Amino acid sequence: MSWSKACRGTRISSYLENLHRTSQSPRTSLCSRYYTHGACKGNEHYLRSKRVFWGSSSSWSLNSHSATAKSMLASAHRQYSTHSPTETKSQKMLYYLTAVVFGMVGLTYAAVPLYRTFCQATGYGGTVQRKETVEEKIARHSESGTVTEREIVVQFNADVADGMQWKFTPTQREVRVKPGESALAFYTAENKSSAPITGVSTYNVTPMKAGVYFNKIQCFCFEEQRLLPGEQIDMPVFFYIDPEFETDPRMDGINNLILSYTFFKVSEENTTDTVNNSSSVPVQETK
Amino acid sequence: MSTGGAFGGNRGLRPIPPEKGIFPLDHLHQCDTEKKGYLDCLKSTGHKSEQCRHLSKTYLECRMAKNLMAKQDMSELGFSGVTELDSIVEKER
Repeated sequence: MSWSKACRGTRISSYLENLHRTSQSPRTSLCSRYYTHGACKGNEHYLRSKRVFWGSSSSWSLNSHSATAKSMLASAHRQYSTHSPTETKSQKMLYYLTAVVFGMVGLTYAAVPLYRTFCQATGYGGTVQRKETVEEKIARHSESGTVTEREIVVQFNADVADGMQWKFTPTQREVRVKPGESALAFYTAENKSSAPITGVSTYNVTPMKAGVYFNKIQCFCFEEQRLLPGEQIDMPVFFYIDPEFETDPRMDGINNLILSYTFFKVSEENTTDTVNNSSSVPVQETK
Repeated sequence: MSTGGAFGGNRGLRPIPPEKGIFPLDHLHQCDTEKKGYLDCLKSTGHKSEQCRHLSKTYLECRMAKNLMAKQDMSELGFSGVTELDSIVEKER
């Protein structure tokens, strides 16, 4: 190892000798001594810089001074040289952080459709995957001959929004049905005011987790229904409880379902308009 | 489900529109008799839907006849095994 270093040293030393011929300093001897120790790479720089800064003095004292000076210079040089790396480093950090901020904001916007597709794919949180229609389900179960034994009581509830002058009640209190049997139920609504009222209804099924198995084949919800003053009408609901309700362990203690409908007012026509336009007598139904 | 609560699970599942759509309202009360028959049957049998299925079938058939419901084969709606004979058998019980 020392041989290779020595070889290197000789090559560099010859080069340096040419270099120092002008300066004619005994440092070459010093340098050669440094070379043999294999620590002269740095000294090359030192010597060059020294030449620049101190001309061509060649005393030992200067050398000792130069030793400290060298170290000072080196440190100064080091400080100067490391300025730009920190600057670029901090700039890079800034770009990186801004990118992270924009990335986060973009993620929040993308989260909504992403979550929706995730829920649809996995059915997480009770999201219903509408893959087969009720008719297909019925056909499938009738073909496989699934026999259901559990009788479930479906109770009905009817509500009207505040300030709406409708009398809205379920025509029957309850229906006892087995899963897999399509059942029919009625609600009665009566417009007790003197003006036609249009309402729209929404429903929900309690308990919530059983709602997944409650399939409505046809009903009167989600569409505006207009009742003339004093008109009474029957609104049917045709529903079907999935036979898979029986096999689900989460539905073990559930034998009661409550189907609840709520009517909200959409609009109320002006009484002046109806007085001017209508010629028909309001239909009165007594049951 | 506690995790389902975050996505409005506590407020209930979002209502799903009915499969076959909306029943047009029977403003002219054309199928009232069938409806009455079904409701009376329910009352008499203690609200058991099973025993009154034939009457619900007749009600739906009436609706289809009066253009208040899309015409469809009754077996598709789950009435495959229900016939008038069944009603007689049920009544005998």
